[in-house]
Parts: sequence; structure tokens; C-alpha cells
Amino acid sequence: MNHAIISCLHANLPATEAVLNDIDRQGIDTITCLGDLVGYGPQPNEVVELIRKRDIATCQGCWDEDIIDGLNACECSYPSQLAERRGHLAHQWTDDQLTDENKSFLASLPTSLRRDRLLFVHGSPNSQHEYLLPDMDAFAALERVETAGADILFCGHTHQPYVRELRDGSIRVRLQNADHECDQGEELTLPMRKIVNAGSVGEPRHGSTNATYVIHNDATDEVEIKEVPYDVGRTCQAIVEAGLPKVFAWRLSHGFEFAEQAEDASHVCER
Amino acid sequence: MIERWALVSGLRGDLETYDLIQRDLKKTRGVTSLFVLGDLVGPERNCDALLDRLKNPHSGDLKPDCIYGWWEEQLLAERGFRGERKADALRLSQGEDAVSALLNTVNPSHLKWLASLQFGFIELDCALIHGSSSDVGDNLTSETSPLILLDRLTRLNVNRLFTARSTKQFHLELTGGGINSQVKDLNGKREQQQEVPKRSVIGIGAGLNYTLYDVGSDKTHFLTAGSKTNPKRKGFA
Repeated sequence: MNHAIISCLHANLPATEAVLNDIDRQGIDTITCLGDLVGYGPQPNEVVELIRKRDIATCQGCWDEDIIDGLNACECSYPSQLAERRGHLAHQWTDDQLTDENKSFLASLPTSLRRDRLLFVHGSPNSQHEYLLPDMDAFAALERVETAGADILFCGHTHQPYVRELRDGSIRVRLQNADHECDQGEELTLPMRKIVNAGSVGEPRHGSTNATYVIHNDATDEVEIKEVPYDVGRTCQAIVEAGLPKVFAWRLSHGFEFAEQAEDASHVCER
Repeated sequence: MIERWALVSGLRGDLETYDLIQRDLKKTRGVTSLFVLGDLVGPERNCDALLDRLKNPHSGDLKPDCIYGWWEEQLLAERGFRGERKADALRLSQGEDAVSALLNTVNPSHLKWLASLQFGFIELDCALIHGSSSDVGDNLTSETSPLILLDRLTRLNVNRLFTARSTKQFHLELTGGGINSQVKDLNGKREQQQEVPKRSVIGIGAGLNYTLYDVGSDKTHFLTAGSKTNPKRKGFA
């Protein structure tokens, strides 16, 4: 059976509507959302209410968490003071706009969802703030999936959709204990695991303005990355009219990241 | 000149043990640094005398470089040095009495110094941490999955991780292996191969059991303070 995974909606209603319509057209009725319903975009209440109305299983993203708990992440959140100021401005604006009911909904979201061997998180099983980038250390990537007890880990947060299959892994070790001579060593065979990043519905950063999401077939484990065009201009105009930083509209209209990208994939927020 | 580190942990207020280790080190050639990897305090005995000695070494003592461990973390949390966190892990694992006992073993005058201790040291290509790069309470042993050990090494980009939390002495060396991965995105597919780097995790022991590390030769020696064990017999290259 096919099911759809969406992430990082970022208060972009036209993109969210376009993606949900695309999923509906394919007759897929199981949708999982990996969080970040709000932040950066101009329609936080509308997007949260749409997800609530559709009763879409959702886990909490870093923006959702920050709106509820306040901005208390360590310095890893922003790569520069300029980016930090923009982020704080968007945070304050979103905080002012969101209704108490919608904030309660965000507060109620779990940090992960699990269906059998499938695990759904926003950033990583460690933290909503950890980036699992497509080229991160393969052993560290496998450790995230394996330690979480999953076969396939679905994540978002990077805004770049990808499917990474980790296979044919092994580690040879040699042990010396205090009371024993060195052993002959042994080899651990590592399991095959997969990381699927759903990209971003509301703020794509993969080089195109199209919204992205993924479809997974739980019988074959095949994953398809989907791109959906939407009315980017409408969202950009709403960003400017809302008084949010114009650079949010600029980067949305270009489809790539503007400075704000974590360089250290292994960093875990120490909040 | 040989550079040799002594690595100690889990003293938990035991000045007598610390004194035995210092006496051992005076008789051992080439020890240039003494690292105390946390658990300076514990709930079993009054810790003030040991803390005084660590802060103000006796003449002839090898000067200790200390980091905080799990017990300090619990103490500092309960005393309000960790924001809203309390000694939840201790309370959960050993109960309220253990929390009270811990608070009673350390004079509050030591708290500021304990709070100034670092999480770990990076020396050359080695990390010296009580638990691991993941958490001060991370209990790494020789039984821990090598995948997790490699992750803890990778997080700090070091070749050797010296850990103390388990209280065990072991030297587990990652000697080889690899992994293949395929990334598919909107630009297509690409294959990647990665080899296991030669790295090690060393459990340094606790209390009387401590470790010497020869930096130049990359050898570890597992020792017990007060015994007559020849370091060469337990060396591991």
C-alpha cells in the first residue's frame, strides 16, 4: 500500500494545498507529516487548521517545538547573527499570530511516530534539531536508524528530499580487557537500513521552487520523490504583506537555501 | 621524552585511593599528565578532603586535570546549577535517599569549582570524557555495539575516546570494515563507499583501577593502584 510523507510545511498554505491535492489525486489516504507546520511562512493558523481538519498523523518539528517551548536551542540553530535575527523575527511574528488552540495542538504533537518497522521523526531520533544530510557519515547515519530500532527512518528538516540506502556494512573489532590477552578479533555484520527524507512542502531548498514530498510503498519499500508546482508568487506576496523578512520570499522564489544550513551534521543541539 | 598520561576516575571521595594512585605515579617513569575523568564525588563518604586535595595538590603530587562525571552532574543539577533540571537520573535509579546522601557528602563551598569543570578534554587526537560525546551518562563498554562506538568517535572526529562511565577497563579497537550507500535524489543516484577508520575506545576503569597511556607508542596499560603489576605485561598496542 502506498502512503505519503510530507514535512516542513512552514505556514505555506498554497504549497500545502497543492501537495494534499496531488496526494488525493493518487487515491492515497494515509499521510504522515513530519512537522514544522509553522515558521517562515505567512499562514501558520491556516496550515495548522488544515492538518487538524484532515486529521493527518503529525510529529513535532523544531519550529513547532520552539513556538511552544521558546527559543532556547543552542547556537547551532543559525549560522550567522543576521540569520538569527531573521529567525527570531519570524518566531515572534508566528508566536503573535498563532491562536491558543493551534498552539495547544502543536504542543500535543509527539516527537516521533512509529508504524511497525517504520519510524517517523522531524530531524533525527535524537533531536528535532539534528540534520541528517544526504552525505553525512554513513556509519553515523546507520547508527541513527539502528539505535532507534527501525528499518526505515523517515525524516525532514533539511528541506532536501532524498533516499539513502545503507548496505553491505561491517565493522571489525579487536578487544583487550584488563585481565585477558588480546582476542583474535571479530567482525560485526551491519544490517541494511534506509533513510528517507521527505524534503519540504513549504520551503523547498533543493534548487527548485516546487514543493516536495515522498510516497513509500510498504510492500515493496520503493520510494518515489514527488515534486509539485504551486503558486509561489501568492505565498511570496503574502510574506511581504505580513511584514516578514523579504529574504524569505526571495529564497522561496529561488528554491534554495540562503546561508541557513548546518555544516556539522553530527551536531546535536545541547539545549 | 616519553609522554605518558595517567587516567583516573570513580574516586567518589576516596582520598586513600587517590593517595595510592599518586604514590604509584611517583614510581612510574614518564607520567606527564594526570587526567581525572569525573566521579570525584559520590554518596558513600564525605568528599571534602579529596576535593581539597584535587584543588590544592600536595607538594610532589602530579597536578590533576579534572572533568565532571555523572555524580557531579547529579549533584550540580540538584543544587540548581543545571537550570530547571534536577538529579532525576539518580532519583530514578537509586531513590530519594541516594540524592540526600549525595548532597550531604559535599560541602557547598566546592560547588562553584565543580561547576567550572569541563565536559571533556580533547588532547591531540584523543577525547577524554566521563561518558561519551553523546552524554555524560553514556555507559560505553566492550559489549556496546561497535556502530555506537564509532558514532561516538565520529561526533568528535577523534581517533581515540577514553571513557570512564562503565568503570571497566578495556581497549576496543576498530580495525576495519566498511559500508556502501546509495543516495537517490531529484538529480539521480550516486554510490558511496566508506571504510571504517582505525579508531579505539578505551575504558579507563574506576577507583583503584586506572590506566596509563603512552602517547608516542599508542599503548595502554591497565593498572591497579598499590599492586605490583608490571605495566608491560598488560600493554596493548
